[in-house]
Amino acid sequence: MEERLYDLIFIARPATPEEEINKVLSGIEHTCAEKGGKIEKTEHWGTRKLAYRVAKHREGIYVYQQIRTNHGELIAELERRLRVQDVVIKYLTVRLDEDLKRQKKLVGKREQRTARRPRRTPPAPPAAPEQTAAAS
Amino acid sequence: MAEEPKQAQAPSGAPRREGGSGGHGGPRREGGPGGGGPGGPGGPGGRPRGKRQYFRKKKVCKFCVEKMDFIDYKRADILSQFVQERGKILPRRMTGVCSRHQRWLGVAIKRARNIALMPFAGSAAGTQAPRAVVPTAAAVEAPKA
Repeated sequence: MEERLYDLIFIARPATPEEEINKVLSGIEHTCAEKGGKIEKTEHWGTRKLAYRVAKHREGIYVYQQIRTNHGELIAELERRLRVQDVVIKYLTVRLDEDLKRQKKLVGKREQRTARRPRRTPPAPPAAPEQTAAAS
Repeated sequence: MAEEPKQAQAPSGAPRREGGSGGHGGPRREGGPGGGGPGGPGGPGGRPRGKRQYFRKKKVCKFCVEKMDFIDYKRADILSQFVQERGKILPRRMTGVCSRHQRWLGVAIKRARNIALMPFAGSAAGTQAPRAVVPTAAAVEAPKA
């Protein structure tokens, strides 16, 4: 099975101390190590206002991670663990690699198109197409 | 214009009710389209009429212009431009987003709603606040050391 990339966001209670969150994070790490997954990225977004009330809280501590794995069961296991944890009031896992694959394809297509029709922007300096490629 | 015939019919309809139900059906039916017809264009239909008078500005898809091939559900600041104040997803005809991007946008907004970045209903206050990205504890310590 090919590798898949997942987004994992969880929201902790606003008054959670740092150690508690680190405990959750190390738990995720442990599960990943067990089931064969790799944490690509971890971002602490800090305390943010929630768009609606979750578990009677109007604010929450957001933590965002990207996980790469071959095994879908890992995500199921992570979700199960997050559900059990008292500190975590909400979580979301999203599979990203399909969207990114599609994005890559579209970018490739666009580059092909611009390569095929260079006449459309002949007066533009050579730096211009490079910039558009970088922006996309 | 629309108000006048309706008001004129209302008093005439009332006495006829005493007369019989057969006669009542006539004016009622007239009153229905008469009242509903102008009422409809007055709301959503008022815009096309105005548009025909003025020149139509062509809307372009914002995502196509910026060449975005992936709409990130985490960017609530972008997504909030495409919802109403109450959190409804705006239709394509209002925003000018192309069909492909509207499809992705819908998915992104729904994901954002799921994780409380966007409201399901109610004011969008708070979603506009910029996201404070704080690097991980390890990353903070690293440059210091």
